[in-house]
Amino acid sequence: MTATLDPPSAFGADIRGEVAISVRDLYKHFPIREGALQRVAGNIRAVDGVSFDIRRGETVGLVGESGCGKTTLGRCVSGLIDPTRGGVYFDLAARDQERLDSILAVPEPDRTEEMQRQLEQLDSDHRVDRLGKQKWLRYRRNCQVVFQDAFASLNPRHHVREIVGRPLKVHKEAFSAQLTERVVELLERVGMGRQHLYRYPHQFSGGQQQRLSIARALALDPELIVLDEPTSALDVSVQAQILNLLNELQQELHLTYLFITHDLSVIRHMADRVVVMYLGKVSEAGSTGDIFDDARHPYTHALLRASPDVDDDPGTAMVTLEGSVPDPALPPQGCRFHTRCPVATPACGWEVDDVVRWLEDEPGMFDALTDVTRRNAFTADLIFSDESSAAALATALGSEKMPLAARQALVDMKLEPTRVHIAFQPVSPVELTVRGPGHVAACVLDRMPELD
Amino acid sequence: MAHAPEPAGQTHAADAVASVVGLKVHFESRAGRVHAVDGVNFDIRDGETLGLVGETGCGKTVTARSFLRLVPMPPGIHAGGSLYFHPHQRCSHCLGAGCAVCEGTGRLPVTCSACGGEGCRACGETGVKTIDLSTLPEKELRDIRGNRIAMIFQDPAKALNPAMTVRNQIAEVFYQHRTQEVLERARLGTRPNPLLRRHAAQRSRLIERALLALPPLRMQRKRVERVIDDMVASALAETQIPNPSKVMERYPHELSGGMKQRVMIAQALACNPDLLIADEPTTALDVTVQARIIELIKELQSRHKSAVLYISHDLSLVRRICNRVAVMYAGRIVEIGLTEEIFANPLHPYTRGLLAAIPGRSHDRGQLVAIKGTVLELIDPPPSCRFVERCSYAVAVCAEVDPELEDTHDGHGVACFIHNPPDMAVELPSFSKLTS
Repeated sequence: MTATLDPPSAFGADIRGEVAISVRDLYKHFPIREGALQRVAGNIRAVDGVSFDIRRGETVGLVGESGCGKTTLGRCVSGLIDPTRGGVYFDLAARDQERLDSILAVPEPDRTEEMQRQLEQLDSDHRVDRLGKQKWLRYRRNCQVVFQDAFASLNPRHHVREIVGRPLKVHKEAFSAQLTERVVELLERVGMGRQHLYRYPHQFSGGQQQRLSIARALALDPELIVLDEPTSALDVSVQAQILNLLNELQQELHLTYLFITHDLSVIRHMADRVVVMYLGKVSEAGSTGDIFDDARHPYTHALLRASPDVDDDPGTAMVTLEGSVPDPALPPQGCRFHTRCPVATPACGWEVDDVVRWLEDEPGMFDALTDVTRRNAFTADLIFSDESSAAALATALGSEKMPLAARQALVDMKLEPTRVHIAFQPVSPVELTVRGPGHVAACVLDRMPELD
Repeated sequence: MAHAPEPAGQTHAADAVASVVGLKVHFESRAGRVHAVDGVNFDIRDGETLGLVGETGCGKTVTARSFLRLVPMPPGIHAGGSLYFHPHQRCSHCLGAGCAVCEGTGRLPVTCSACGGEGCRACGETGVKTIDLSTLPEKELRDIRGNRIAMIFQDPAKALNPAMTVRNQIAEVFYQHRTQEVLERARLGTRPNPLLRRHAAQRSRLIERALLALPPLRMQRKRVERVIDDMVASALAETQIPNPSKVMERYPHELSGGMKQRVMIAQALACNPDLLIADEPTTALDVTVQARIIELIKELQSRHKSAVLYISHDLSLVRRICNRVAVMYAGRIVEIGLTEEIFANPLHPYTRGLLAAIPGRSHDRGQLVAIKGTVLELIDPPPSCRFVERCSYAVAVCAEVDPELEDTHDGHGVACFIHNPPDMAVELPSFSKLTS
């Protein structure tokens, strides 16, 4: 999604507010190294072109299955890791933001020197991974993280004063008696107290440990807190306490949250806007109401119908998704969700790898496959060691065993004794399109068709 | 069903596949004795799904593990109570395939050997074979584990042996509990070589293994292994694993979380158990995978008609799959009843608190009703209601007397003075009176 940034963010241009963080065309690839020389054999595309804004004082929910890149994205935003390409911008004035978006809308080779110079200026002033030391320190103060596993994120050999007071010490804010008072203040803010000052993390329950993490995050009076699954290790009753606490703090301190979770009921409760991620890309984004009541992406639908809500009728069946998340090193063509989509169409990007994946699940067939000569992602020759397997594949490609949409997308198939030539219609990646004010979805369908 | 005049939930009736009676499991620690499970009573009826819900540390996992005596002792102490279990046997008419005699379950109850079905003290007047899992010798318990009672653990990544292929892990169940069937299916005659018999029971020693690697026994051993392969493949196929013969050769780390949990389920259901204990089977999984595993457990349960003890802290899930629910708090059952009853009309303040704490679509932001405070320390707890310190309705009597789990109506039991007032002239708690 390098070519168009229209809408400039995943939320469309209609909604404007003071922006705290702008994520622009963010990529994070992790190299896969192989062999004695640790040659790079491929890349795990954890985050693969994501853009969105977080406005001051709001909560943006980031949801998706494990492995969809939501934690990696959160780490990029908080500056814990540097992105491969694209960037996270903070503190952009509205004018700068417009300038940035207009420059980024132009493909890189076509940018004029003036544009390039401006971009570099913007990058060095606002882009999180390019900041100078002073600005970097300021960003680190303003952006704090609360991690999923509170116990693992607290140093077991330090007591509470040390843990919660650490950021104050590092930024030379407070020392000795003053530090103690500041820590007590922070502890009281999260519902704990002076009596906890000299205890160690293992002496606390899970909920209290998470409170400590929150207190530490609040120490430097930040603007943005990245909450990476803060309640998924907690019990419902404790989760309710923590969620209420987070809400109170947000109101009192005007905090901005990036709330990462896989629990949709928590997201519905907490978020103003929601970004749904699938395999490194945004599949849908919009206000919480849009996502929960008017979802336009089949993946969002599937997530919603897979997670039971207490207010639902227990009789309604949970709709389940077939298959598992594909390998993020070889993401599917077209729409990345088409391999599991219940309403996939021929235009969704059916490709050679879909056939190979199908062969893997078919007893005996994968072993008979000796080679795949690809012309591109959509056209290839599959070579088998025996004629019967090749014939079996050719029959399967025309039968119920393959999804109807895949069969319709198959434009050419030739069976030679041990070789099957297949060609699917080529499809470009599915981009986000505007579905309403601030509501975008990446699906070829305009509306979710009714299922059964 | 004859309701005995005992605390609600405890009937020890013939249609119960297992009855927990006054179970107490304590742990010795330096700080004192932790009363992790402290007098738990409930029945699991044949073919039902009983949900056991509660917060972390309320004793639900210890209760579940007690069924198979998987609680390490020491530091664990069996401080009292019994776990009665009525083991079934494979239906002799259909050999477990399901027929009219066994009503499609493939299992038949075993008559009590002491009284021949008349009803005696040994079987608690039920006439069916009854064993007490808490006192059963270890050797006999091994015949129950994985055979009549199976367990699915929370984290499949930890529960599966990382050094064994999927095939070998599931094969263990068949080697241990289906030795005779394996030998029969391998057509090794009525009196197979003792070496093979030992091999099929996983008891061969080093020298015997060397002999089994040489002809002529080698061929027969291969035959046994092929039979095991088939059995493992069909067990895996039952959990809708695509291409089982390929998955069989994989190691657990090569499989996704959902797939691993399927392997665990396949292993648990391999011997068509009477009771399946599922200890938070979906907590480690994604929502989409969770939905599929839940549907799978539901489907397999309706096919096998095994009883399931489903442990979870997720009430919205429990509501979907359980017939009855038991709510546990601090080592006690505080409420038990039919799922619809519990959700429509929760009687215990704790159950109400739990339900109100789930973020649902009807809650406004920041308006979740959290239960104040934290779970009671279970070290030498005082003789009071365990929930008293967190309860918004508690009065003086709650801190002095311990309420018993009593039946209110239709098997809906609750341990709270709001519903079961004590025989004392004291101020009584009520839902209309907030006290703190």
